[in-house]
Amino acid sequence: MTQLLLGIAPQWLPTLDNFVVGRNQELHTALRHALSSTGGERGFYVWGEAGSGKSHLLQAAVERARGNGQSAVYACGTVPDAAQVVAVDDVEALDDAAQIALFALYNRLRESGGMLLVSGTAAPTHLHLRDDLRTRLGWGLVYQVHALNDEEKTQALHQHAQARGFELPNEVTHYLLCHGRRDLPYLLGVLDELDAHCLRLKKRAASVPLLKEVMRSE
Amino acid sequence: MSHQNLWDSCLQHFKEQLPSQQFNSWIKPLIFEANGHQIILTAPNGFTLKVIQERFLPEIASRAQAFFSAPAQIELRVEKKALQASPKNQIAPAIENPSLIKKSQKNSVRLNPALLFDNFVTGKANQLAHAAAIQVAESPGTTYNPLFIYGGVGLGKTHLIQAIGNQFKQENKHAKICYVHATNYISDVVRAFQTKQFDEFKQYYNSLDLLLIDDIQFIADKPGTQQEFFYTLNSLIDANKQVVITCDTFPKEISGIEPRLTSRFSCGLTVAIEPPGLEMRVAILLQKSNISKNPIGEDVAFFIAKHVRSNIRELEGALNRIEAFARFHKRPITVELAKEALKDLLAAQNKQVSIENIQKTVADFYRIKLLDLLSKKRTRIIARPRQMAMCLARELTQLSLPEIGNAFGGRDHSTVLHACKTIENLKNTDASLNADFNLLNQTLRN
Repeated sequence: MTQLLLGIAPQWLPTLDNFVVGRNQELHTALRHALSSTGGERGFYVWGEAGSGKSHLLQAAVERARGNGQSAVYACGTVPDAAQVVAVDDVEALDDAAQIALFALYNRLRESGGMLLVSGTAAPTHLHLRDDLRTRLGWGLVYQVHALNDEEKTQALHQHAQARGFELPNEVTHYLLCHGRRDLPYLLGVLDELDAHCLRLKKRAASVPLLKEVMRSE
Repeated sequence: MSHQNLWDSCLQHFKEQLPSQQFNSWIKPLIFEANGHQIILTAPNGFTLKVIQERFLPEIASRAQAFFSAPAQIELRVEKKALQASPKNQIAPAIENPSLIKKSQKNSVRLNPALLFDNFVTGKANQLAHAAAIQVAESPGTTYNPLFIYGGVGLGKTHLIQAIGNQFKQENKHAKICYVHATNYISDVVRAFQTKQFDEFKQYYNSLDLLLIDDIQFIADKPGTQQEFFYTLNSLIDANKQVVITCDTFPKEISGIEPRLTSRFSCGLTVAIEPPGLEMRVAILLQKSNISKNPIGEDVAFFIAKHVRSNIRELEGALNRIEAFARFHKRPITVELAKEALKDLLAAQNKQVSIENIQKTVADFYRIKLLDLLSKKRTRIIARPRQMAMCLARELTQLSLPEIGNAFGGRDHSTVLHACKTIENLKNTDASLNADFNLLNQTLRN
């Protein structure tokens, strides 16, 4: 008989502290600096391939700004109302009207000293957006978010398992990285499923056979 | 038959012949008076009068001749109210309804005191626009009204228009100046409509001494806003108050804007701002770095200017990135540092590299057949490029190792792992292989 699970798994929230920095040290530092003062750069555009950590960074920045007592809002594929810190994820998903709204928001925030963080999958020059918006995104600080290498991914997986309170043997991460897709959202998703699977079977530690079962059931 | 019948027949004719918007703009506001064979038509402003004279007077004259059976004397006048309300260059009195001013000002961006003529870098690309802007700031409402500045994005239109405002403000401390982005002007119109405060709205905009409106192309396909702006424009120009407009294109090429408005845009002076040349881009970078108190050398400025050609915003963005990079690494700004800092930015589109593309590129590079690369052959001349391709696939794609192995003729994931380890080791000992790897990596990324 399998154990039924209560939905009380610890909620994992993206923060600047649990972001595995990898080769993004400069971006991480610049973002922390900008969020802790009003004098730093007010416009950030981050770009990188899917699964490189853009959404994590934007959500973490909003969470940090709220912690600092600022009004902050995160939106994905839409343009929210103005706040002191606004993060707009996936800028390429914006339609024509939303692009104009973001353009107006950009101008308002620039005037009021607010902070705008935007993410996309390409460098500003290569974005298929309105020219006036595209060039404004390239005006502030632009960083590519570099995806983690396998060592850094291993570190991120262990960190994630630790946050959920389960043990993750090295051979499990090794197997996962050798046999599964290697983008972080997928890997973390498998870990969550593995954790739930272990609990259902009342097993204490994750193991390669259990991981295989999880990966087979996908 | 009374004289009014003549005018009614004219109205009827124009109503049938003209689109309603043109009829409402030009014909309807006219005040008709007649005395014997003399007709007096009073227009609300000078611009309307000019249009009547050029476009509609012959028709009115011919109808009057038919009516009187003799040539009629037609006199065109501008309404006295309009003339009296706007003595030339007189600074407008304080506005009566402060609530609307507050609302409008909330939406009208204040002038940015940092955008001055002094820090506007001039060159071939913008010298005409710069000269016109100075002329307008020094003697507003006289020569070039409206001044219409157009050009691509990020070339300095906003800087120039704000510099006009700042200069004018310096010389006329109590002048009423409004810098408004077209999107905010649209919001003002909508708000005035919703709160039924059109009179206050008109009063506010008509009382300005200088109206600077940025990115007018945004009012395209917004007929209500266009109508209001048309009235505002006419009113200010008739009162010899300066209007400066910026746009991303030449007036005639703006789509979605009524012809009467675009023709009005061209009435004053239309000047273009072109993309800056290399020398100008260098000058901009040098000046910008001086302002940020982090001066860069000419060699660095040339490096950036050579690689970032599109517009000034991206040029400044590149400089921001270099300054941030230098601060983070606590290193002086050199060409080497600039190269490092802009590595990501300068890389071409971050396209997802396909495994097929990697295989083809590697096979071409080593001049071997693609079929051999995917075959079971284990000779060094085939195996090494295959290992290289596997390693690149691991680095440049998100495919799993079994998927990579499968794409190379159904190999195991451990073969891929071995290939990657071999190449990583060889990169440390074999400089030529390392160079090949970097070259292939760069080629595929770009």
